[in-house]
Amino acid sequence: MSLEPQELDELTSKIGRKPTSTELQIVAAEWSEHCSYKSSKKHLKMLPMKGPLVISEKGYDSGVLDVGDGYVITAHIESHNHPSAVEPYGGAATGVGGVIRDILSTGTRPIALFDGLRFGDIEKDLQARWLFKNAVTGIADYGNCLGIPTIGGEVEFDECYSNYALVDVAAIGFGKKKNLIKNHAKKGDLVVLLGGSTGRDGIGGSQFASDSLESENRSAVQIPDPFIEKLIIEAILEARNQNLIHAMKDLGGGGLSCAVSETADALSIGIEMDVNKVHTRESDMNPDEIMVSESQERMLIVTNNEKLKKLQEICKKFRIACSVIGHVTSDNMMHVKKGKKTCANLPTDVVANATLLDRPSKKPAYLENIEKEKKLKPILDYTKMMMKFIASPNIASKIWVYGQYDHEVGIRTTVKPGKDASVLRLDNGKFLAAKIDGNPKHCYVNPREGVIGCFEEACRNVVCTGAKPIGMLDHLQFGNPENPEIFWTFLESLKGITDFAKYFEIPCVGGKVSLYNETPSGPIKPTPIIGILGLIDKNPLYSKKIIAGDCLIIIGDTKNEMGGSEYFEYIHKFIGGKCPIVNFQESKTNMNLVLDVIGKDLLKTAHDCSKGGLAVAVSELCMTHEIGCNVSLEKVPGPKLDVDRVLFSESHSRYLLVLEKKNLKKLEELSKKSKVSYKMIGVFGGENIRFNKENKHVIDLRVDKAQKTWFNSLRELVHG
Amino acid sequence: MATFDVHVIIENKPGISDPEGETILNDLVLKGTHSVISKIKTAKMLKFTIKEKDKKSAKTKVQEICDELRIYNPMVSKVTIDVFDA
Repeated sequence: MSLEPQELDELTSKIGRKPTSTELQIVAAEWSEHCSYKSSKKHLKMLPMKGPLVISEKGYDSGVLDVGDGYVITAHIESHNHPSAVEPYGGAATGVGGVIRDILSTGTRPIALFDGLRFGDIEKDLQARWLFKNAVTGIADYGNCLGIPTIGGEVEFDECYSNYALVDVAAIGFGKKKNLIKNHAKKGDLVVLLGGSTGRDGIGGSQFASDSLESENRSAVQIPDPFIEKLIIEAILEARNQNLIHAMKDLGGGGLSCAVSETADALSIGIEMDVNKVHTRESDMNPDEIMVSESQERMLIVTNNEKLKKLQEICKKFRIACSVIGHVTSDNMMHVKKGKKTCANLPTDVVANATLLDRPSKKPAYLENIEKEKKLKPILDYTKMMMKFIASPNIASKIWVYGQYDHEVGIRTTVKPGKDASVLRLDNGKFLAAKIDGNPKHCYVNPREGVIGCFEEACRNVVCTGAKPIGMLDHLQFGNPENPEIFWTFLESLKGITDFAKYFEIPCVGGKVSLYNETPSGPIKPTPIIGILGLIDKNPLYSKKIIAGDCLIIIGDTKNEMGGSEYFEYIHKFIGGKCPIVNFQESKTNMNLVLDVIGKDLLKTAHDCSKGGLAVAVSELCMTHEIGCNVSLEKVPGPKLDVDRVLFSESHSRYLLVLEKKNLKKLEELSKKSKVSYKMIGVFGGENIRFNKENKHVIDLRVDKAQKTWFNSLRELVHG
Repeated sequence: MATFDVHVIIENKPGISDPEGETILNDLVLKGTHSVISKIKTAKMLKFTIKEKDKKSAKTKVQEICDELRIYNPMVSKVTIDVFDA
């Protein structure tokens, strides 16, 4: 673990002397891409972060939104890609642990988890299957032990993640506004390290995350211990209730180095600490190791002398270790000692603020001809193709995954996973809907429009529950930023997110950038993930049973936008074509109409139309409700298209609405008034899912057979 | 060909935490009066019975099987293999 030569020169000139070995370790951790955001920070400023509901406070690790009546929700997203790629079980579990502590550090209780998982082609690749299986188990074990429900997420497979894994975890917290920790500290306050002991595990993790994964010979593996985490949560919340915490930070990437320097820098204070006071797992650890160890389940707390005794009593009660490792000074220095000997003494602003880079960017060459479509082999039997399609890993039901997660513990989950978005009940009578979405296939074909699509899709998902989007989390995952072509895709994505967020006035309340995601065969596809939080003032739309005679309506146009579609990539093995583009105006009108009709209680259910297109979206409704449907493809609004385009185009801003016939007229009136593109395209009934054109069945599937395949294929694939 | 018992012990590498061992130590052993104990580590043992020509090839074969089938993760675990006459 070391600094680049020019960074070493910079450090030397900034502090006016040669750094000590401990100083080098501290700075190398803090100046790593993972901790310093040196490639991205300059650009991230373009995101809109303010809004009427956003509460910002210095030093917060998670975003805070005011949901009224004295309550707040907090949200954060993290990834644990590199650790999960070498040890999926521990890597995924400790990722969950980290994001939970970010929620906790604002003084709110974590109430729900999400995870976004991406692996290689599990149909062919045994390594990908092993990673998938173990990452899911890791998340399940950790969340289930803590009693925090995992209520949603997404899973995707793509060859670009071969021998690698993307494990994104997001968490939501809930609490009273008056209980939020107002980070502050003054001279003489005490710095306390609370939780698990510091060991040699995970040494150099953040540096590791900032390198490409080349060899397996790494030791940056962390072992999860959910039971300590649970005790920490309860101890911290009790300390919060007794007002014992002045400031708080979770120990994540970079360990003590980052937590101490960032706390001091954010609060404009200095911290003097002694490594001998840190409770360690092994007796012979040297100061460098203690400062950069990324042992899990630890929190840094600033309190004062009078409150310390009470804090120690709480820790004793929960049987977690806590040691006073130092105190607050007024000199803005991070002073690390071992007994009387000084190991490091650095200005905190130097440590916490790496020089930001302005990396060059260049439009990737591959994008030149990407929109050109190749001639596709004609599909002779769409029914047969459709059965194969719904069994494919990306389309198949993810019940094998979310079935392993306890998604009901805490009894807040009123809409459960497997739907468009999950919904949580809040204590003030409102409801919170949340969803994360990504689409690397679209983002590869068009980084800007692709991410706007993810953003809109996540919004569509929460809108389908009746929620109005109030906040957004972004997680930007790309390859090596030193490659100008990759950096260009990063910038394009960021601009896309910014434009959409500004137009819809959805503030970015938190995010993460993860770079250097490289596999042995090259960079991953651009994989930005968008998380959306939506608020429901009254009641969410709970799906009602669809019965024969109910009507199927589509809102929004179906266009010739096949680039990056599942149909092109899975069925035709073709990467390319024109990526779906969101028309902001149309998107807003459609979204408002859907919210309006849900508010008026006209619908039985609403479902967004995305991956796999109309054919998959309608089939999902049928399979979930165990009823057939007759769909007329001629009626689908939009330009005149070939049958495969109508079925499988992944155009955005489309919603499927199901309602009783008697409500049709009211819906028609509202749609006309808002001038949306809308059509009744089918009627439910029977035992077959049929897509018809010119009185012929283009697709004719038995619902029960399709459902069985859809539900079971992922499990069968994993368990062989 | 002879029959051998091969014991494979899988434990976390030194320096990596072992929550189960620590819990047994702190919450069971030290709660009694057994203060002479300073450390407990958990491990998993697999007992293979194998037909091979000698002890050395028995050990190699079992090691190969464990590696190939990912019975342990070399990133996290330390593996000790002992061979006995059956």
